[in-house]
Amino acid sequence: MRVWALLFFLVLGVWAQEKPASPPPDLSPEVFAIARELRCPVCQGESAAESNSGVATEMRRIIAEMLQQGKTRDEIKAFFVERYGEWILYEPPKQGITLWVWLLPVLGLALLGLGLFAYFRPKKPLPPELLEEAERRLKEP
Amino acid sequence: MTPALLGNLGVSLALAFSLLGLALSLLAYSQGDGRFLKGAKALVLPAFLAALTAFLALEWALLTHDFSLAYVARNHSTQDPLWVTLVTPWAALEGSILLWGLLQTLYTLLASRKSVDPWRASLVLAVLFGIQVFFFGVMATIASPFETLPNPPADGTGPNPLLQNHWMMAVHPVLMYLGFVGLSVPFAYAVAAMVVRRYQTWVGETRWWTLIAWGFLTAGKVAGMWWSYEVLGWGGYWAWDPVENASFIPWLLSTAFLHTAIVQETRGAFKAWNFAFVTLAFAATVLGTFLTRSGVIQSVHAFAEGPVGPAFLGFFLLVTGLGLGLLSRVSREVRDTVVFRLLSREGALLLGAFFFAGWALVVVLGTFYPLLVEAFTGAKVSVGAPFFNQVSAPIGVGILLLMGVGPILPWRRPRAEVFRNLYMLLAVLLLGTLLGLLRGYTFGASLAVGLFLYNTAAIFLLVREGVLARLRAGLSPWGFLENRRRVGSLLVHFAVALMGLGIAFSQTYRLESEKTLYRGQAWEVGGVRMEFLGVRALDEGRRFAVEASLRTNRFGEVRPRLHFYPQMNSPLPAPKVVYTPGNDYYFLLMDFDREKGEWASLRLIVTPLVFWMWVAGGLMALGTLYILWPAPRREEVRGVSPA
Amino acid sequence: MRFPAGNTLRSWLWLLVVLALGGLFYWGMQRNPKELPSVLAKERRPAPDFTLPVLSPYQEEWGKTFKLSDHLGGKPIVLNFWASWCYPACYEEAPVLEATWRRYRDRVLFLGINTQDKEGDALRFIEQFGLTFPQVFDPRGRVGVDYGMYGVPETFVIDREGRVVVRHAGTIDQATLERYLKEVLP
Repeated sequence: MRVWALLFFLVLGVWAQEKPASPPPDLSPEVFAIARELRCPVCQGESAAESNSGVATEMRRIIAEMLQQGKTRDEIKAFFVERYGEWILYEPPKQGITLWVWLLPVLGLALLGLGLFAYFRPKKPLPPELLEEAERRLKEP
Repeated sequence: MTPALLGNLGVSLALAFSLLGLALSLLAYSQGDGRFLKGAKALVLPAFLAALTAFLALEWALLTHDFSLAYVARNHSTQDPLWVTLVTPWAALEGSILLWGLLQTLYTLLASRKSVDPWRASLVLAVLFGIQVFFFGVMATIASPFETLPNPPADGTGPNPLLQNHWMMAVHPVLMYLGFVGLSVPFAYAVAAMVVRRYQTWVGETRWWTLIAWGFLTAGKVAGMWWSYEVLGWGGYWAWDPVENASFIPWLLSTAFLHTAIVQETRGAFKAWNFAFVTLAFAATVLGTFLTRSGVIQSVHAFAEGPVGPAFLGFFLLVTGLGLGLLSRVSREVRDTVVFRLLSREGALLLGAFFFAGWALVVVLGTFYPLLVEAFTGAKVSVGAPFFNQVSAPIGVGILLLMGVGPILPWRRPRAEVFRNLYMLLAVLLLGTLLGLLRGYTFGASLAVGLFLYNTAAIFLLVREGVLARLRAGLSPWGFLENRRRVGSLLVHFAVALMGLGIAFSQTYRLESEKTLYRGQAWEVGGVRMEFLGVRALDEGRRFAVEASLRTNRFGEVRPRLHFYPQMNSPLPAPKVVYTPGNDYYFLLMDFDREKGEWASLRLIVTPLVFWMWVAGGLMALGTLYILWPAPRREEVRGVSPA
Repeated sequence: MRFPAGNTLRSWLWLLVVLALGGLFYWGMQRNPKELPSVLAKERRPAPDFTLPVLSPYQEEWGKTFKLSDHLGGKPIVLNFWASWCYPACYEEAPVLEATWRRYRDRVLFLGINTQDKEGDALRFIEQFGLTFPQVFDPRGRVGVDYGMYGVPETFVIDREGRVVVRHAGTIDQATLERYLKEVLP
């Protein structure tokens, strides 16, 4: 056991990002649920729940501690926004500049509905013989 | 002869043949001279062979550890196992472009064998050759896989460890590229159709290509999801990461195209939509590569930034501009004159296609919104999984609803007996949802149960109807299976419903928990009791592995690992996943006592029904394959007859 | 749609959308997506306080623990977050920091915060570069979160009123560091 440990550190040298010797705390499902909504600052598009980087590990630990102190989900998120700005929230707030990202899909859907309504409403009814003609032409080779 | 020499020769020849082919096919069109077309067609095979030579040269360099090639030095190590070496050509940018180019020449070769009128044939070839010119041009100039190093190292670092952690990564990129490239053929036919103003037949002629592209894209996406699940160590399959989104967009658009193409084929409608969808779907494949390679957006999957960003951006704009420009030129001629009803097969197909296209738009919006905000205000914002999940859920529900009724509805106008079926299906939906609610599921999960049952019932109705009709006509009921398009698409639809169920449950009921256990200590969570027995280290040559032993009450001994790669800052957790039809149990070793091995920090993620998502993925591929399987002779004849 | 004019307008609209998209992406390529603004430096917020254990070579001069607020309001302070595993960035800037500290030590306080590291490795690093400015030890990296840090190395400059005025992400060079110091020195 000890032989490998020695070998291990010799080989890994400076690359290995060492963690402190004390074991990490226990994390409840609630911690992960909150961490999933926060961005890991050092990562490239991973949440604090997914990443194994030092900062993300510390963020999970802070969340666990704050939950133990009886802080709510919103208070914990506010804590991180205070330090990192709204960038850290994976769910864009429904206000200010990010309100539009929520509104646009709804607006788009409304436009789509209107367009479809116009599309499916007969523009002007074509005479039946013309319709048949169109159908026949389609079947022609 | 060295690999570098051979490879450069292959790339240059492929570029030369493609350029010449482009020139000849354009001449053939403008002069209306069949000899030029013949010449262009004769260049298709040499271009493929040249590309193949270049690709094999790269393999040769990797297998012989030729570290004088920059690509080999950066992505290969003598320690790599054989299978990793063989798949290293697509482990990084330059090799991936080479693979893409090779597949493009292969598809051009296959597509050029189909006989259409000489005008369109020359235009189709021109577009395909043009695409080849782009890829081999990029390889010949800014991203050469055969760049040499003046001072070659004795050994390299090997490919990104994330890529060598799972065999799925060998398959996923190839499947994606096969899908991406597959869309180039319908796109080329669409361009030809818009130029010569013959708008009707191209969808039928490229049906095979569209399906094959869709099948590969689907298989590639599912393979990528599985890889993410088994390797990235967060117990999820989809993170709405920009690069994942970038390959999801072509899938969504090609799905939309697949459905509206059916309408054009059978009823001659939606011509404009088909031109738009196929252009956007193909353009989106290029956009995805631009996103991955340009560093324009942060992502886990983003590769080293290179000079190819602007090239791919230019190509994307060219493709979009060409397709949409031509469409706007002929837009008045391709307008629909036929009257539609919403409650008809074509109505459901168009609505479904709009849902897919709308979904693609939402994904585009969410992916680029941070960039947009930064461009105009300088502020940094994030749009991530919570946004995409919330917006996608209603769209998914809409698609699942339409998927059930669509195939039931007849073309043009509903008949009275159809309404009976519709009411029955609606009752199944309501009952299923109610059942879910009674079992105590959330509304979303209950709705997913309802939608799954509703779709299964719809498929049952269709099969029953088909079989009964054959029996009434005195035919063997098994003959129903010969209707490949119908049976295959029903299988795919069933798989989509199953996938929807899996997604809804795995997203709603995910239990994730972490605990530090001392040796001999036990932990019970999510119905599993585990006892930590100890850790041991393994020297595996290219990496160190630390393995924790857990004795569980249900799955015997489970051994999650941590892998230490010399080129990585932090260790990569290699999860141990126990698949069961109900829940997946995902064991992760997060950390351990480095002095005495006394404790280990373990994470357990319990996710329901993920198993069925992989089954669904397999069924989707199977269903597509069933449709594509060489059809009886008469189908073949109908395909080539001029319409 | 009914008027030819509408039709040409629409075809131009496509072109416009394509061009706008191209412009946006082209702009996007010119910038560094990893660069993130610092809330503290942008709003010139008071530096968050912390108390951390001082690494052994500095305990004689600075005591067992270091409390930031005891030192605020006097000289400007340069906070440098680093770790021994941060190679090569931290190894490149350590000599720069040491040299600048020697030149400005009577006018500016430098403080190194060793983050998410092991004490042994940290001490080896300090010895390797002969760092003489005080070093504190934060194995968890808690202070980094308070400063909105996203990765080592990162350097913060605090002015004489105790406000954060500069956040520099990544390796810092001599000229940049001196420019920052000019900003906070009288």
